[in-house]
Formats: sequence, C-alpha cells, structure tokens
Amino acid sequence: MTALTTAADRGMASCHVCYKLAPTTVHQCPRCGSTMHLRKSDSIQRTLALLVTACLLYIPANLYPIMYTDQLGSTEASTIMGGVILLIELGSAPIAAVIFIFSVMVPSGKLMAMFYLVWTVKRHSPLDPRQRSIMYRVTEFIGKWSMVDVFVVSILVALVHLGGLLVIRPGVAALSFAGVVIVTMIAAESFDSRLIWDNMEEKSSDN
Amino acid sequence: MTTEQAEISRGRTFSGIWLIPLLALVLGIYLVAHTWLNEGPEIEISFMTADGLEQGKTKVKYRNVDMGVVEEVRLNDAFDGVIAKVKLDRQALPLLREDTRFWVVTARVGADNVSGLDTLLSGAYLQLTPGTGAKEARSFVGLEQPPETPTGAPGLRLQLTSDRASSVSTGDAVLFKGYKVGRVESMQFNPVDQHVHYEIFIDAPYHELVNSSVRFWDVSGVSISADASGFKVETGAMDTILFGGVTFGVPSGFYAGDAVAQNTEFKLHTSYEDILANPFRHGTYYVVSFDQSIKGLLPGAPVEFRGIQIGKVERIMLKEGLAVTKSLGEQGKGISFPILIYIEPGRMELPDSEDSIATMRESVEIGVTNGLRATMASGNLLTGSKYISIDFFEGAKAASLGSFMEYTTIPTIDSGLAQLDQKVNALLDNINALPLADTVASANTTIASLNQNLVSLQSILENQSTQQLPANLNETLQELRNAVENLSPGSQAGQVSIRACCR
Repeated sequence: MTALTTAADRGMASCHVCYKLAPTTVHQCPRCGSTMHLRKSDSIQRTLALLVTACLLYIPANLYPIMYTDQLGSTEASTIMGGVILLIELGSAPIAAVIFIFSVMVPSGKLMAMFYLVWTVKRHSPLDPRQRSIMYRVTEFIGKWSMVDVFVVSILVALVHLGGLLVIRPGVAALSFAGVVIVTMIAAESFDSRLIWDNMEEKSSDN
Repeated sequence: MTTEQAEISRGRTFSGIWLIPLLALVLGIYLVAHTWLNEGPEIEISFMTADGLEQGKTKVKYRNVDMGVVEEVRLNDAFDGVIAKVKLDRQALPLLREDTRFWVVTARVGADNVSGLDTLLSGAYLQLTPGTGAKEARSFVGLEQPPETPTGAPGLRLQLTSDRASSVSTGDAVLFKGYKVGRVESMQFNPVDQHVHYEIFIDAPYHELVNSSVRFWDVSGVSISADASGFKVETGAMDTILFGGVTFGVPSGFYAGDAVAQNTEFKLHTSYEDILANPFRHGTYYVVSFDQSIKGLLPGAPVEFRGIQIGKVERIMLKEGLAVTKSLGEQGKGISFPILIYIEPGRMELPDSEDSIATMRESVEIGVTNGLRATMASGNLLTGSKYISIDFFEGAKAASLGSFMEYTTIPTIDSGLAQLDQKVNALLDNINALPLADTVASANTTIASLNQNLVSLQSILENQSTQQLPANLNETLQELRNAVENLSPGSQAGQVSIRACCR
C-alpha cells in the first residue's frame, strides 16, 4: 500500500478528455485545451445530490403502478412488488426472482453501495480501497441492467394495443423507475473513483 | 499555447447539482399533494350478498365514468349481509346524498331487453345514481335490483293498488293508447291491507297525460268474452300478451281532471269493463243496520237514493255485529245486522273528489233530521234479490246518525216489504181458515134445488095459458097505442087535454 503513489502526489493531473498527464500547475490541457482538474469537480457533492434524487424517485417507483392492463373493460394496475408477489403465487418463482433481482435488489443495492462509497470517502475510511473499487466497478457495470424492467414495460406498451381486448398503459412508476436507473448511472459516473485512494493517502499522510 | 499557473481550487461549497434532488423533491411533493387533494370519500355500501363484488377490482361508475373502486368486501357484524368499502374519487363527493343509490350491474336478461352484456367480460360494476337529498351520507344500502328508472329522470311516479296480482310485474310496460310511455318499477304484496302495490313511472313528456280523471287498467294477456253478438277477443300489444302491461286513459264521459302530484295513488282495475262498472274513485262508507231478515241482500247489491244508484253493498258485517252485541251484553236477543255500504258521490253527478264526499256527508247529516232513512227493498221478486233504498220518510221516528266501529250509521226503518210480508201472511192465514168444504157442499145443494126450480119453470112455460100470454099482451099494447095517439099534440082531444093541464 505504501508503494502506491498517485499522479496527484507527483503534482500531476490527468485531462478529463484526452487523459494527458500534465502538471497541476497548468490551467488547460496542453494537448486538447480543455480545462484541467485534479479530480472531477464537486464529485462527492454531485454524486450525493444525484443519489438523493434517485432515492426520492425510488419512492413513487415502488408505490405507484408501473403499468395498467385494460383487459376487456377492467383495468388492473400492477406495481413492481405486486407483480413479483403475483408471479410467486402463480408458481413462476424463477421469473419472479429475475424481476426481483433486477428491479428491486439491483437499484436499491446500487443506491446503498454508492451511498457507502461516498460516505467512506467523506470519512476518509481506512477500509480496503481495492474492495471498494471492485464494488464501484460492479455497481457501474450492473446499473444499466436495471433498465430491463423499463424496457419490458415500454415494449409491452408499444406492442400490446388490441383495441378493447387488451391494452397496456405505462404507469407513473415506469417513468420514475427509469429516472432512478438513469440518475444512479449518472451518479456512478460522476463519482471519481480516484478519491478512494486519495483519501487513503491523505489519511495516511495525515498520520 | 500559454500555460499559466492554475489555482488549485477546492470548488464551491454548494454545487448547482443540488437543484436536481430539489426538483425531484418538488415533484414528489406535488405528486403526494395531488393524490392527497384528490383523495375522495370512503363510503360503505351494504348488500345482501357480495355477488359480483371483487375486492380491489369492482369499479363504481356513474354515466360510465369510473368513480372509484371497491376496496374491501366483508361480512357485516350480524353476518346477515355484506359491506363493501368503496374508495371514491373526489369528484364523486357532491353526488353522495342520503338518497344516492347503488346497485350491482351484471348481465341481465329481461322481458323486453338484455342489458349489461359488457359486464360478462369485464366483470360486474357498481352503478351510482346521484341523489338530490339535503343531507350528505357516507353509508348506503345497496339495491338488490337495479331501479327501472334513474333517479331524477323527468316524469311522474305513481302508486297503483290492486286487489289481485294479475300478470303485471316489475318492468312491464305502461301504455297509453298502445304506446309505451312508462314502466312498472316495483310490485309488492302488502299482507296487512291484502292489496298488491305497484310503483309505476311515466316518462316525461307523457306524464302530462295523467290527470285526476284517468283510470288505470290491466291489459295483460288476452280477454275473451262471449255474448249475444258472438265471441270477442281483446288483446293489447304483443308484448303485453306475453309479459303483461298496464294502460290508462280517461273513461268516456269524463272530463280531464287536474294535474296529479308525485306518488298519487290510483286503483288498478282488472279490465276496462270493470272501470265502466266502477268509474268513480272517491267514495265513503256508511253502515246501516236492519232488525229483520236480510235474505237476498248480497254484497254488490245496489244502494239507491230515490231510484238512482249511488253505491253498493260492500259487506255484511256479521262478525263485527256479533262482537258488538256480545260486548253490550245483549246476547240471545237477536242481533241487527250491520251492513257496510259504499256510496260514491260521483254517481249523483257531483265531482269525483274528496270535497264532494264532505258535501255529501253534510247533506246526509241534515237529511237524517228531515226523515232520511235507509230501508231494504225488493229489487227482483223472481230472484228475491234486495237492495238498499235511501229516501225521505214522512213521519219517521226522530233519529240521528250513529256510529258503528269507525263508520257512521244511517238510521233505518223496517222496509215496506217486511210490513207487506206480514199482511200477506195474515191474509193467507184467513184464506186458509175459510170453511171451504162446507161452502162447496151447500153450494151443491143450492145448485140442485135451482135445477128443480128450472124444471118447474119449464112446465109453467109449456102451459096453455102461458102460450096465450103473448097474444093477449099484443092486444093490450094495441089498445094502449090507440089511447096514446088520441092524446098526441096534433089531435083535438090532445089539445083540449093540454089546455086542461095548463090551467
């Protein structure tokens, strides 16, 4: 760990656009001319703000119906958890598990992971930065898979339009759920993973 | 490219990115507020059964607009019905009055229509019809049957009573000259008054056809009658043959009456002939008691006033008469039979109204002091049927109106017939007592002696002297004639004798 040295320690900063390493003393990238930052600007604050947004959106995404099924005049509203429970009752446990994992576990897990990362960075936590960076990578990778739910709903809405027989309409939750997924992806993007090590260094240098 | 010394900034302490969660928060608050503001009332509707009601699925609709959904269906505390808890939209709030009605709409196959077929696929729903009552309400009693007419529909609701159910039933048509103008909404038999009560609704604008003079009669099925002119078959419209119906109209000879109020009661006659026989709607009851045999007096017998029928005998109140006699302790003395009579002022050309009844009662009261009495009279000597006659009797014993149970009694006098009966009986008794055999015997002897007399007369006539009698008589007459001619005014002897006379 002590062998670990960062560019910042060496007084170097990386360009956001072309990744050219330049001394922190230069204001603009010598190669592409974009503004240089040592780290992503306001990374923690942005990530936190977006996470809060995602949390707020997550509430209606779960409480409101994600889609309405108009079947022969009777409308049935289904929420995410309602659908999962219905599938279990119908005996389709594997499908229920898939929906549960991608629609409930992944988004909420992602939110918690991001909060944890932001929290540890803010607290200069001494916890293993390697593990935390794995956590970050998994989070970033898996995030887009949550969109499966939104895609299913949007495809159903587009395809199932059988006049009075069967019509599927999107609910408020579909939009907010898409919002949760997009906002958490942006949050993961705006989180500067280098801060995990920076703080380690700062903390160790403090000591 | 010039390179300058960059300031290593720590960044602003507050980033603009916080506007995003703020926006999300505002949106969230808006959603919550919107939901909360649109929070409708929660009501309870009780039903006999939960037929067609599904928790979370059954909708409440008004004019086919969703108004809410049944949230919970449970048994009531007494386990003899169900309570449906319904969450309504906010816009349904002003519709919830005390007389708001709910019923379950399912597919129904009626006599003249099939309704609610869409519910076969979508499931039943609750229909709401808004009330117009003064008070708001949150709990309702659901109708088991859909009402035939929506609340607030323009028209006229009337009550019909009939003493038998016939074939008119809920949903049947109400016709005017064969055209459907309304329908029978409900029917029920009241065990207390032993009558069938119908509620009918006449749609606007046909309700203006109803006035106080109209009569309602049953046109269900086919009526077949046979009389001297042959067979007569009468039917209404095709559907009334199959399902029954009611029609109304002003009987011929009547003027259109006044407009009638909602829920006015009318009698449902069994046929138009029945109306012609009993065309009046208003009448009153009196009781007359007779201390004599009432043989031949039957319910339905006419009650006449100076020969004009003004009513009929309703019933002979034997039971009540006995009870009253018993209560007075007058058993064993014979009872006078109270007879309930029904008098219709309309038969005396008075307007067919309650006012006329009051007028008539008043004149009866005055009349009684002037000798108005009821008697029993013989209507038909052959059949022995009797009727009640009301008339003024000179020199009747003073009497006044009495009362029997809740009825007024008109004083009576023994009928002329009863008196006549007694006289005829006495006469027949006398005739019976006559010594007819003796009379005949003496008559026979008289005839025998008469015969002898005739025989002796014969012998006298055949006598010689008797034979000569006409010739002698002729001679005498000739002489008499000569004498008279001498005395005639033209002759001398005559003039002399006249002068002698004049002196």
